[in-house]
Amino acid sequence: MARILVVDDDPDLVESVSVILENKKHEVITAYGGVEGLEKAKREKPDAMILDVMMPDKNGYDVCKELKADPGYQNIPILLLTAVASKISTTTYTHQMGMETEADDYIDKPVEPKELVRLVERLLGNN
Amino acid sequence: MMNRDEIHILVVDDEQVIREGSRRILTKEGWKVTIAENGEEGLKFVKNNEFHILLLDLMMPGIGGMEVLKRVRETHPDLLVIVITGYATIENAVEAMKNGAYDFIPKPFTPDQVRIVVRRAIDKINLQREAELLRIESQRSLRDVANEKSRTLTIINYMADGVLVTDDNGNIVLNNPAIIRMLGREEESPLGKHIFDWTGNAELSQMVEKVLNIEGSSSISQELAWENPPKAFFMAHAAPVRNEQGEVLGSVTIFNDVTWFKELDQMKSDFVDMVSHELRSPLGSIRQQISLFLEGMVGEISKEQHQKLNRIQDRIDGLIGMINNLLDLSRIEGGHLVQKKETLAIREIIEGVIELMTPEAKKKNLKFIVSMEPDIFSLHADQQSMETVFTNLLSNAIKYNRNDGSIFINARNLGEFVEIKVADTGVGIAKADLHRIFDKFFRIRTEDTRKVIGSGLGLPLVKTIIEAHLGTIAVESKAKEGTTFIVQLPREIDIPSPDSRILHLLK
Repeated sequence: MARILVVDDDPDLVESVSVILENKKHEVITAYGGVEGLEKAKREKPDAMILDVMMPDKNGYDVCKELKADPGYQNIPILLLTAVASKISTTTYTHQMGMETEADDYIDKPVEPKELVRLVERLLGNN
Repeated sequence: MMNRDEIHILVVDDEQVIREGSRRILTKEGWKVTIAENGEEGLKFVKNNEFHILLLDLMMPGIGGMEVLKRVRETHPDLLVIVITGYATIENAVEAMKNGAYDFIPKPFTPDQVRIVVRRAIDKINLQREAELLRIESQRSLRDVANEKSRTLTIINYMADGVLVTDDNGNIVLNNPAIIRMLGREEESPLGKHIFDWTGNAELSQMVEKVLNIEGSSSISQELAWENPPKAFFMAHAAPVRNEQGEVLGSVTIFNDVTWFKELDQMKSDFVDMVSHELRSPLGSIRQQISLFLEGMVGEISKEQHQKLNRIQDRIDGLIGMINNLLDLSRIEGGHLVQKKETLAIREIIEGVIELMTPEAKKKNLKFIVSMEPDIFSLHADQQSMETVFTNLLSNAIKYNRNDGSIFINARNLGEFVEIKVADTGVGIAKADLHRIFDKFFRIRTEDTRKVIGSGLGLPLVKTIIEAHLGTIAVESKAKEGTTFIVQLPREIDIPSPDSRILHLLK
């Protein structure tokens, strides 16, 4: 059981991701924007973070960059929620964006519950 | 040729026998003859009439023949003068010839002698006439050529499109004012400069090098972005100029300013982009919440409910797929996707896509039958776009195939192109629909395709990408037998970059 912060501006998405994680007996903290997400990450120091890329106030890349640049928080593993055009382009996408943001992993929206669970467990080092 | 009755001969002689005799002989031949009995009368006739031949006696009282000859030569240089000399005084004849007489005839003469001499003179007149006609003719055609040239130049100079003509080395030999205006290069004449040196655009330079150096090449069209002020977009069409033997003499490139269309297009793409994102997020959210039911995370559901939700999810996937294609299309049309061109091995792309699609194909028990030439050319292309092309083609070959069918993938070199064929064993496409399948949102509605989820954007996307790579796509189909898509993409060509050319010059 871990404490996981879920950040997305879409409340329905936050809720469904929460349901999936709670099903696996994780504790979920939620935030509904980039600024709030950053603030909660620093205050709550979660075991892992699921972070949406496209958010109106502060996008996920910037949140990720700030946390990874701060020695106090750079160990929080981050799973980026990306909205990529097609499956096959994920590799290209990872290549282009991942190196820049230093996120720990990526998952396409919409999220497949099984895939999300698999990636979160890997992030927590439980696989 | 002059008609006989057009020839007008003047006979000047003080001896009546000769005058009348000549008149009789020459008139019989059909020529018009006038006679004068002394030099003064002769000169008066010459002054007031048009004669072609003058038969002139040298020995006359009053103004002598030699004097008449001199005066006539001054006033009527075209009049042919035949002098009549008494008793074959050769010295007189020689002097007359020196003074410009055409011929001479010694007295006494036979009718035949007169006829022969006059005929020869007439032949000479005709030859002169013909030569004159030819001269006029050739002058006229020269003038026509000059007119034609100036007309063509006028057209080129007043064209709103820019024109650059180069020789076979890529040096500019002709341009119109429009291109100078379009590129904002008023201060420097392009003539004699290499196309790269004057424009500073490597892509343009490569286009021209291609049409100059690749055998059998026809025209190339490419959109060029101009970074230098003024920032602009041009559609450039380059073509080789050949002589009658088919050798390339140079190139001609036409520039069409498409900046305004690009801006409009960008606005459209931005709009589509925005709308798509706004649509995709809630759809993704809906799909994800449905998956909670399917995974049993919000309580158990019946088998029937499971089935229904599955179908709902499939339809949502179709919608999301369509939005993704729309996004890709708007990105490509906005020129964003195809800019990262690199050396690509087509074999790896195709093998990667086959691997990705294999699970889909297994659901219908389809076989991939692949044949690729071992030394297949590499491409100069954008990897992501190429993956999109073959993912779409293979996805169609799966979706529209029959169960237990096959998918044939064939790749080979074809001239300067790589040809890739993707064939299925599906229901085929009706002839009437074939030409529409690349249209946006066109979908074939038949009993066979009703259940297939598609966006109507896959093939337009494929076509847009291929054309952005200067390739072509064609389709062949037979009802109940299957459909074949034939893609041709230009091979990667080792064209010396402008930099290496400059280095070469420096050596």
